[in-house]
Amino acid sequence: MTAIVEVSGLTKIYGSGAAQVTALDAVDLSVAEGEFVTVMGPSGCGKSTLLNLLGGLDTPTAGEISIDGHALAELPDDQLTELRRRRIGFVFQFFNLIPVLNATENASLPLRLDGVKDADARAGLWLERVGLADRMLNRPDQLSGGQQQRVAIARALSTEPALVLADEPTGNLDSKSAAEIGELLRQVSTKWGRSVLMVTHDLRIASFAQRLVLMRDGRIIDDLALDGSREAPRTALERSGLL
Amino acid sequence: MKLTIDLAWRYLRGRGARSMLTTLAVVLGVMLTFGLNGILPAMVDAFTRNLLSSAGKVDLTVTSTFNQPFKAEVVDRLLTVPQIDSASPGAQGTVPLPRDADAPADALAQLIVVGVDTGTIGELRDFPLAQGRMLVAGDNAAAVLNSDLAQQLALGVGDNLVLPAAGGTVRFRVVGLLSSATLPGSEQVFVTLPAAQQLFGLGARITQIEATLVPGADRSATERAVASALGPDYQVGGLSTESSLLATLEVANFAFNMFGIFALATAGFIIANSFRTVVAERRRDIGMLRAIGTSRRTVMGMFLAESLLQGIIGTALGILAGWGMAASFFTAMAPIYTSVMHFTVGGPKFTTTTWVTSILLGVGVTVVAAILPARAAGRVTPMEAMRPQLGEVYERQVGIRAWIGAGLLVFSLFGLVSGSSSLVGLGAVVFLIGIALVAPAVVNPIAAFASRPLETFFAREGAIARSNLQRNPGRSAVTVTAVMLGLASIVAMITMVTSIFAGFTSYLNKSLSADYLLIPQSIILAQGNVAAGPQLAERVRDVPGIGAVSSLRLAKARVDDGEVQVIGIDPANYLKVAAFDWNAGSSDAAVTQLASGRWVIANGIYASQHNLAIGQALQIDTPNGVRIYHLAGIGNDYLNAKLATLYTSQENLARDFNVTADLLLMANRTANADPAETLTRMQKVLADYPAFRLYESQSWLDEQMATFSQTIVIFDVLVAALALPSLLALVNTLAISVLARTREIGMLRAVGATRRQIRRMVMAESLLLSVIGTAFGAVAGLWLGYALVVAMGAVGWQMPYAFPWTGLLATVVVGIVFGVLAAIGPARSAAKLDVVAALHQE
Repeated sequence: MTAIVEVSGLTKIYGSGAAQVTALDAVDLSVAEGEFVTVMGPSGCGKSTLLNLLGGLDTPTAGEISIDGHALAELPDDQLTELRRRRIGFVFQFFNLIPVLNATENASLPLRLDGVKDADARAGLWLERVGLADRMLNRPDQLSGGQQQRVAIARALSTEPALVLADEPTGNLDSKSAAEIGELLRQVSTKWGRSVLMVTHDLRIASFAQRLVLMRDGRIIDDLALDGSREAPRTALERSGLL
Repeated sequence: MKLTIDLAWRYLRGRGARSMLTTLAVVLGVMLTFGLNGILPAMVDAFTRNLLSSAGKVDLTVTSTFNQPFKAEVVDRLLTVPQIDSASPGAQGTVPLPRDADAPADALAQLIVVGVDTGTIGELRDFPLAQGRMLVAGDNAAAVLNSDLAQQLALGVGDNLVLPAAGGTVRFRVVGLLSSATLPGSEQVFVTLPAAQQLFGLGARITQIEATLVPGADRSATERAVASALGPDYQVGGLSTESSLLATLEVANFAFNMFGIFALATAGFIIANSFRTVVAERRRDIGMLRAIGTSRRTVMGMFLAESLLQGIIGTALGILAGWGMAASFFTAMAPIYTSVMHFTVGGPKFTTTTWVTSILLGVGVTVVAAILPARAAGRVTPMEAMRPQLGEVYERQVGIRAWIGAGLLVFSLFGLVSGSSSLVGLGAVVFLIGIALVAPAVVNPIAAFASRPLETFFAREGAIARSNLQRNPGRSAVTVTAVMLGLASIVAMITMVTSIFAGFTSYLNKSLSADYLLIPQSIILAQGNVAAGPQLAERVRDVPGIGAVSSLRLAKARVDDGEVQVIGIDPANYLKVAAFDWNAGSSDAAVTQLASGRWVIANGIYASQHNLAIGQALQIDTPNGVRIYHLAGIGNDYLNAKLATLYTSQENLARDFNVTADLLLMANRTANADPAETLTRMQKVLADYPAFRLYESQSWLDEQMATFSQTIVIFDVLVAALALPSLLALVNTLAISVLARTREIGMLRAVGATRRQIRRMVMAESLLLSVIGTAFGAVAGLWLGYALVVAMGAVGWQMPYAFPWTGLLATVVVGIVFGVLAAIGPARSAAKLDVVAALHQE
């Protein structure tokens, strides 16, 4: 299987001198095509930093990142922006939908940015797939949190990206909606074949992933396959002393 | 591109209230620029067309150098000059009116009869008919005159005007009445040229030719060409009054235009402020857009597109409003102008330039104002998408800008004390920019200082309000600057109006210190004036109760190809009955100097037109040849303030100009004389001089002041019309500053602030902002006003700078009151905010 994400020696240091903080310390990671990976760890372990660096939102202090065969360090800002637009989908904790646009328009935003002609039709297809066929013309303030996150997932998928990055996608949701989003993200990898990298604190949601990466103090301390059972993530965390 | 505009449009609609308020700012700015520029050209047009109707479209007049009638063939010679477009021969003279025994002393005593060539005059002059018809060829016993003059003479269409002529009397049947206004001293009756020639016994000769120039012809070149075509027996003239009056109007135009620019600058600040808030609020949206692959340029483009849309909508509405403003101005003002100033105004006139300027300024200012916020938006990192909403992000960018501002303020001080009108004007503008830059740095200390008294009234809320201001000095500074700009323009305008009023009052008082004036009826055009020999002055001097008597004599001269009126005064007595309003560097000593040889005093208009300096030599072309005179001083008198004038001694006038007749007499009453008795005696003397009218200075002054006060009313209305948009801008800015903090207010409510406290907090904040803004505005306005007064002086309209105490006080009170009024709406809505909704406000 081809690797969509290829990371080696990834280091990120904030500040300098006494105030220096090493957020990521020589991390190596590889995510295969269609693989659903969840990253867990205590606050400040570097998981969000990892996600930002993978998304090209931030630049590493050292190390290399390759996404879908493109070495990020070699890309100028414009091409990096284009890579984000076409090959990476983002799902945020706070949904980040444009309040003045309806569901279809929000989902088609990256396509329209790219000048795609049938943007709305393609976005509509994704909205149907995530189960929002009857909500396509609603604005964000007319949708529940779970529905808003589905719109965000449809937006992330509308450009047919190789990689979906999800930062605490259920952090702002009730447990029922959270489980639905977890299930939806699993579908993103199994049914639609996208690689998904998700950062979460929620053990239940983590169990939807195929693989669990545990981090502490900027390092990966464990990397194991999950069997879909609810207990697997908990057991792994307890074993690493993170719980 | 489509997406950018679509998004911009959605956002604009999405925040309805605020979009409306910011757009309103653009609307007001464009309304002023467009509206005022629609009003002014029409006013200038009406002014030149009506008030200067005696000149008509006439660009040039040709008369005999020796005031003799001449042959009509000169017209053909004149037409050989290529720059001359059309020419019309005429004959003009004064005719005394038969006098009833019981007629009042100031009854009309003479008429100017103007014979016009019916075939050609239409090319030069408008004769706006109110009733009846115009003269036609062969109308040998018909006359046309102004309606108001006809009324004075109790004549209507069909009545007969009886005039004395060489052989008895001549009857003219009034066939038409004109709607134009009659200037005092210019009571004209129009007849056909042959009729006038017969009346004055001229045969086939004429007394003047009026001509127009081809468009774009150079005036002085044309005058030289005409002079060489006609020879030295003829002189070329025009109405010099026209140019100086128009210069004054142009200054007024400039001043009014400044208001439009000010309003737009205010709008610019409001828009910049609004977009800054919008960018801060939308950081997370922007972060997401950046994260999902929107380029910096597209983000910037989105904000610029938003401002462009707003600019287009605002400008369109502004043009509509400006048109309405101009139209209603004319509807409201037309009757006042007709009754007070005797001229009719048409409707608004919008030139292409006005359209283009308004649109460019309206859209341009909006887009330019959004550039900085848009750039800031482009710099938002995609990381913002990962953070929770922070509300407004506070910037502290004071440093360098404040120092630049301080530097500009220092520079502007040099401008103020420089004395040069352009530097003073530049200084005023630089001062405004300086304040705008310094404001963010000084708002904090000033707020701390100003809030002390405030906190005694608003014990708890005052402190919160102050810290609200201080926490975001940038935003407060924008509000303060907007308030400042608005109020500065009002104060500046009031200063100018006050100064004009004070200037005229002092002109009148100084120039007419004499108790009695004896003026010929046709003094204003200084043409065909009847003068009196020295015996009139002697007879007046002999009247019991009369003290000092002094006279004015008048001649025409040419200096450097330009015509100028030369007034002869009696250096020994002039200052006893009259006075000069001296420009800097001149004094009463100049009058004494006139007696010591060929010296002249120039008035302000003439001196500034020719850039004269005291002591300078002037080559004056007199009837006896070129004579060298020297400039003794520069000063003005009210009667001649607007005419290019030189004053010299009557001795010089007699020697070089052969003029010995008195044109105007001024006399003082002795301290213990009885006014009524003296007046009766004076009237008795005057009965033998029907061409002269006796004015008692006090009544003449009262009459002039009454007319002037009515004119001032128009200015006051204008100031009010201009103040309103500025004040609306103030309300607008304050309302935006509350809207921008909806979330913050929600938070305050959530942590336990009562509705009353919120209301009082918003009030206190608004009050604080408007106090600071009003203070800056008052200072900047006084400065600008001073600059305007100096600028008026530079083009010859000298007026003393009058400090507008009342106006200033009124502006400060209005500014602060509006600050409170502006807060009422936002304070109420802030207090009524639903806490949960406010916290979720995007």
